[in-house]
Amino acid sequence: MKGLGNVIAIELKLAVRDPMAAFFALAFPAVILWVKMRNGGTLPGGLPAIDALVPMLSVFVVGLASLVVLPATLAQYRERHVLKRLRATPASSTMIFGAQWAAHMLLAVLGTALLTVIGLAAYGLSGPANLADVVLAWVLGALSLGSIGLLIGALVPSGRAATVIGLAVFFPMVFVSGAMSARETLPESMRSIGDLTPMAPAVQAIRAGWEGHPVSPLTLAVMAAIFIVAGGAALKAFRW
Amino acid sequence: MAVIEINGLQKSYRTHKALDSVTLTVERGEIFGILGPNGAGKTTVVECASGLRKPDGGTLRVLGMDPRTRRRELLQRIGAQLQEAALPDAIKVGEALQMYASFYDKPADWRALMQEWGLAEKKRARFAGLSGGWKQRLFIALALVGNPEVVFLDELTTGLDPDARRLTWGLIRDMRDRGVTVVLVTHFMDEAEALCDRIAVIDQGRVVHEGSPGELIDRSHADSLEDAYFTLIERTV
Repeated sequence: MKGLGNVIAIELKLAVRDPMAAFFALAFPAVILWVKMRNGGTLPGGLPAIDALVPMLSVFVVGLASLVVLPATLAQYRERHVLKRLRATPASSTMIFGAQWAAHMLLAVLGTALLTVIGLAAYGLSGPANLADVVLAWVLGALSLGSIGLLIGALVPSGRAATVIGLAVFFPMVFVSGAMSARETLPESMRSIGDLTPMAPAVQAIRAGWEGHPVSPLTLAVMAAIFIVAGGAALKAFRW
Repeated sequence: MAVIEINGLQKSYRTHKALDSVTLTVERGEIFGILGPNGAGKTTVVECASGLRKPDGGTLRVLGMDPRTRRRELLQRIGAQLQEAALPDAIKVGEALQMYASFYDKPADWRALMQEWGLAEKKRARFAGLSGGWKQRLFIALALVGNPEVVFLDELTTGLDPDARRLTWGLIRDMRDRGVTVVLVTHFMDEAEALCDRIAVIDQGRVVHEGSPGELIDRSHADSLEDAYFTLIERTV
């Protein structure tokens, strides 16, 4: 694991330097927040919309960084022989994965922080009721979605293909899992499909922690299980 | 003392036999050239020796280690510049050196290396914006950043203009003068003649000659390495 911190820092700089990645992870979710808040108001059940939107969109950011940006980076590195050069060094595939994951999750942390600051400054967001639960749920969400992104990046041959597959996985998932529109407002049939996606437990757990409700241990266990299975599969499938 | 000992090395890709049986020895502190036509197996030899490919048969020792079983340990002590290798577009020269240095247990001082190889003025330049010559210079520096005992250079000067090529030759001699063993894969006879202490000519997956450039010229009763080379691989121009 030598030099991991170094590699993470440099990969984060590279992600921020990429205008597409920076736009999608930072600006795009903020624009969605603004559009959604023009309708403002409260959700069915009486919760102010902003208190649902910020935690929801934090999952949107994690999903985008994990499922779209990360696999595209990894697949592009393979396509352009960046990985081939790394393979001739003592760096291990676990380290490459770890650094890619950490750098993209730091990008998502920036996106989440930006949403929180906008929410607090402009829309009267109430802070997370249970910060520890939110952090735990966010990290597990990042691990589970990130490991799926690593798996896509390990399997897909080119950066372009990875972007297409990443978007095809990401967009339907954010709509049905309640990361874009609040679960309360989704039709029952859509919500039951959404509950089968790996994004749903992250949305449920982060929102529960934010509102101060007890976080369902099942959602946390599902995320941990996804991380172990998809992460293991990604390491096995990885080609330089 | 031999730093690389290759005996009867074999490697096939699907139906294509890349290495039929390659045997050669590289001594410590020399510049060893590997010559041969396209598809002769030059790159495959380098990739097997630097642990990037697993040979099908034969024995292979680099610094006394088998790259198949002690790959990670070996990679701490060798450096490589590979054909077609790349870095991320947006990475800066200084960042690349710093990052690669962090992979090794006993790295060189990357800042000093950057100075020595004249890369300091490009420290903040992005990889994608570098010319071919600067990219190659960075790749040489990256091959040296782990303080290697052996460096593999695969077609280092292909695509460089004559000035940059001459400059690179000087850099390769500097490397040897510091005690690094250099394995140089090249297409250029003038390059091999000017730089290499010994060379192996590989054709159709076999070594057809191993010795100094002078020996090769004498043996072929030729005037230059280029003529000797064509005599040896039985092709005419």
